[in-house]
Amino acid sequence: MIEIAEKEISLDRMIQRARRNEAGAVVSFLGTVRDDGIEGMEVEAFRDAALSELEAIRLEAMSRFSLTAAEVAHRTGSLAVGESIVAIVCSAAHREEAFSGCRYILEELKSRAPLWKKEISAEGGRWVEGHGR
Amino acid sequence: MKIKVLAFAAFGEILGREREVELKGDASVRELLETLASIVPGFREAAFEPTGILRDYVLLMVNRKRIDPERDLSRILAEGDELAIFPPLAGG
Repeated sequence: MIEIAEKEISLDRMIQRARRNEAGAVVSFLGTVRDDGIEGMEVEAFRDAALSELEAIRLEAMSRFSLTAAEVAHRTGSLAVGESIVAIVCSAAHREEAFSGCRYILEELKSRAPLWKKEISAEGGRWVEGHGR
Repeated sequence: MKIKVLAFAAFGEILGREREVELKGDASVRELLETLASIVPGFREAAFEPTGILRDYVLLMVNRKRIDPERDLSRILAEGDELAIFPPLAGG
């Protein structure tokens, strides 16, 4: 399942959805707002385009790493330091596939999904320099 | 013809997140960008080099499909097309 929403990410629910009897490994990744002297972050998405790109990435990971399930959630809107920005959960028969699938989805998301972050500090806002094209 | 323009991140702050632009006759992506540059303060400086070429951090989609700014600026737009403008991606 792919989610892009303003509401808080529930990693527990994502893990429950990814569990399978045939999966011996469930790997999760959580990206959070780091305190780099900022007060918070704003996340913006080209929602429809991001949803279809993330679904394409999810399906690639499912087939490339023989995953039994993959879940991706990305927050939008205003986030405080420490809050979750992105969560990825992958299940597979064995740990190698689950770790690789999780990493693949994260790296592809960063380079392909139309999402942007703005750091908010006392001095104002600054868009994080993106590298994805 | 009317073209819907979506803009994100820094370009959203300059252009507004969504707007409609009226173009006369057959118009290309470049002509749409030139029109925006002539009506929206700050957009020309943000999107174009002083030489007039598009800055390399300007990414474009037409109808949710990426286009190559080096090759496809001459693409002719059609009534109801949607152009999205945004900087390099920075999610995750």
